[in-house]
Amino acid sequence: MPESNSQPLLRVENLQVYFPILGGVFRRKIGEVKAVDDVSFTVNRGQTVGLVGESGSGKTTIGRAIIRLTDPTAGTIYYGDTPISKLRPSAFRPYRKKIQIIFQDPYNSLNPRLSIFEIIGEALEIHFPKMTREERRERVAELLDKVGLKKDHLDRYPHEFSGGQRQRIGIARALAVDPEFIVCDEPVSALDVSVQAQIVNLLQDLQEELGLTYLFIAHDLAVVEHISDFVLVMNAGKIVEAATAEAIYENPQHDYTRRLLSAVPKL
Amino acid sequence: MNPASANHQTYAQRLWRHFRADKFAHYGLGIVIALFIIAALAPFLANSHAIVRVADGRITFPVLLSLEPIEWRFLIYVLLAALIYFFRRKLQTHPRRFLLLTCFFVALVELWLGFSHPINDPSNDRERPSSFKLMPPVAYSPIETTPDQFSPPMWKHPCGTDSTGRDIAARMLHGARISLSIGFVSQSIALLVGITLGGLAGYYRGWLDIGVSRFVEIIECFPSLLLILVVINFTGSQNNMFCIMAVIGLTSWTGVARLVRGEFLRLSGQPFTLAAQAIGASDFRVILRHLLPNALGPILVVATFGVASAILIESSLSFLGFGMQAPTPSWGDILSESRRYIDFAWWLAFFPGLAMLVTIMSYNFVGEGLRDAVDPRLRIK
Amino acid sequence: MSIPLLRVENLGIHFGSGENLVKAVDGISFSMAAGETLAVVGESGSGKSVTALALTRLLATPSARYASGQIEFKGRDTLRLPESELRALRGKQIAYIFQEPASSLNPVFTIGYQIQEAIELHRPEVSNVEAEIIRALHTVGIREPEKRLGDYPHQLSGGMQQRVMIAMALACQPDLLVADEPTTALDVTIQKQIMDLLKELKQKSNMAILLITHNFGLVADFADHVLVMFRGRIVESGRTADVLRNPQHAYTKALIECVPRLGQKQHRLKVIDYAGIE
Repeated sequence: MPESNSQPLLRVENLQVYFPILGGVFRRKIGEVKAVDDVSFTVNRGQTVGLVGESGSGKTTIGRAIIRLTDPTAGTIYYGDTPISKLRPSAFRPYRKKIQIIFQDPYNSLNPRLSIFEIIGEALEIHFPKMTREERRERVAELLDKVGLKKDHLDRYPHEFSGGQRQRIGIARALAVDPEFIVCDEPVSALDVSVQAQIVNLLQDLQEELGLTYLFIAHDLAVVEHISDFVLVMNAGKIVEAATAEAIYENPQHDYTRRLLSAVPKL
Repeated sequence: MNPASANHQTYAQRLWRHFRADKFAHYGLGIVIALFIIAALAPFLANSHAIVRVADGRITFPVLLSLEPIEWRFLIYVLLAALIYFFRRKLQTHPRRFLLLTCFFVALVELWLGFSHPINDPSNDRERPSSFKLMPPVAYSPIETTPDQFSPPMWKHPCGTDSTGRDIAARMLHGARISLSIGFVSQSIALLVGITLGGLAGYYRGWLDIGVSRFVEIIECFPSLLLILVVINFTGSQNNMFCIMAVIGLTSWTGVARLVRGEFLRLSGQPFTLAAQAIGASDFRVILRHLLPNALGPILVVATFGVASAILIESSLSFLGFGMQAPTPSWGDILSESRRYIDFAWWLAFFPGLAMLVTIMSYNFVGEGLRDAVDPRLRIK
Repeated sequence: MSIPLLRVENLGIHFGSGENLVKAVDGISFSMAAGETLAVVGESGSGKSVTALALTRLLATPSARYASGQIEFKGRDTLRLPESELRALRGKQIAYIFQEPASSLNPVFTIGYQIQEAIELHRPEVSNVEAEIIRALHTVGIREPEKRLGDYPHQLSGGMQQRVMIAMALACQPDLLVADEPTTALDVTIQKQIMDLLKELKQKSNMAILLITHNFGLVADFADHVLVMFRGRIVESGRTADVLRNPQHAYTKALIECVPRLGQKQHRLKVIDYAGIE
């Protein structure tokens, strides 16, 4: 665990997420998929923790479990001192202002029927119902500016934007509620290399400016090394190695980590 | 990379563009709209009363005086809806004021309708002397009998007359109202039930989905036309338009339900739905604002075909004698009568048959045009 | 020097018209010799995939227009061949593998059947088709191929599906294999395995390979030559080692620079300044 002078913001303890395999006419459980198998880690305030693994490693499931889009089978997730994974959905609602998520697929993560203003403004409508329409428009324009888009894009529709721009909109949506912690679920995997660089830089700038804490989930090791302070390597639902970014790349301990590193195409 | 402003259109606008490119759908829509207008204006198109009549120095409007309250309501509210639609931008800026105005207006209308009585004058204005009169294009009422029985199509009766001398053209025009209103209302009922059940099943899954799916399968086991016949017979509601609408609607919702369930199942797995849930949107909000608008395309397609099918069912019912019967003008009823006289009165079968052919084909073209427009072509990279 | 296997000259492919005209490929020329490996590197929108599909006229013609140029494969212009001869070309002489193996394989047929279909279509002279299938699966590194014949695509992992695709492409012994981002959808360790397989094939056979990718890292120890495409044009071409060591064009330089390198943590990633390029 890294020594840092900030307190832990998110703490995952013995998290298990098992998905039942249903079979038969009455769909009885005939087995289970251990997507996340006894995982524990901590994320300190202001840090970026990278979660690296291949498909099926369980990294996406952890992200979904933190934000309660999936329910854990066992174990606890603490935010600050509160065990948020055990809260009822209605009690969890205020935490949706603190913990947000950015999705991987820029082409399907925005509702094609809504304008950008409506997409980003929805978060404001839900959590700040007292805001008038004009106030919301102002705030959304502010957010667009923060992520590098222009104010006159407010009334446009998602299909008018490129992949990188849509990811920026997704980031603006996550920022609308003033979160502290953002789960970045492979935010650059579907983008071109140069656009990846732009988005990664943007995320770093925002972290500095707003004091955000990130859980950065990805399968691209080079990007993870670049942005993370601390890296967790996952394989088949378990964490196989946890170390600082430098340590992982200079001195990988686990066999799987070494295999991952050697597989990265080098220039 | 700047977004091309040529691309700045809503989903509806793009749908419209694709739709218009399809010639058949385009003309089909024209016919559908024309039929709608004909149905709306039927009293002005075929009536034994004059539209305007000047006699003894007074101007009267006999057609207007003979309109039933429901016809008034239809004309006024559709006009109101059209006005609201065209001025919606301006109205959005002062919603409260506009709402007040509308309520006031509606109150006035209802008050007036409550106090007015239509004049049921069975006599006709054709022979009445007057210094000026403007008759509707077809100067006969659909229920007015004349001594000209079995008259073949001629100038006076463009579509001929039937066994009691009623003008077929008038009956056709007024019959359009019956067909269209039954088609639309029954389909609306079907949509309401289908979207609700299918939507709940597709969104909540689990036991709700299992229950609704089994229920749908049970309903589909019944052959719908027979079921409708049985219900109508049992409740003795022949010739009762509202009953027929309800029964057709309540037996044809299963296709919509299946479709909506499938669409919701697909859409609720998409990241934008998860994102809305992650933001903290309530289920209600997710369904109404995110899922339903995206499922609307295929729903519209099914609804269009459903209207065509409902019109056909209504005509079949009337043909069999279980639907609307004489003297109420219904295309199916005219066809039914033609069975006996077809060997010499061909016009009794030709015109209602032609009308139904054109109507159903137009709706089908529109439906197919919509289906092509809604296709993944619109799913942009 | 004999005629090159593939010679593309001044190829232009347009989409749309009038205001919406998009010149996906805007006058490119290149050639490939038999047995050569060529990599085409570019970002989305550069026209690389369109070029690959154009080689056997696979683009849907109402929307795509072959505006100019010619594509000479073994001396014959594929853009002007009649449909029947083109079909004999596809699969038999020029084979494709695509990015998404799951959607390129027919889900309702076993993989054994699909490879069999390919062989029967293009090599009717083969008598023992099953042995041929097993040989193809073995070549792509699938263990116990006899047992795999009855598997359906969904029973295989992404990497194995891609191997099956390669087996299908190889079964017809093509002269040119076009690989359109074959590893983009795969995990990094599987990607390495597939690239190793392609390298093996390159050494063992005289098959030419055209690799389309956006990842410069894959190009480095695989391709003999590389083309860099940007907005429908070729901005740089040459031997891979030369281009990587000494990129001439600003875009190539920027593209190489903004790939984050392992073990070289930077403060900010380099970004491509498009305005400075055109």
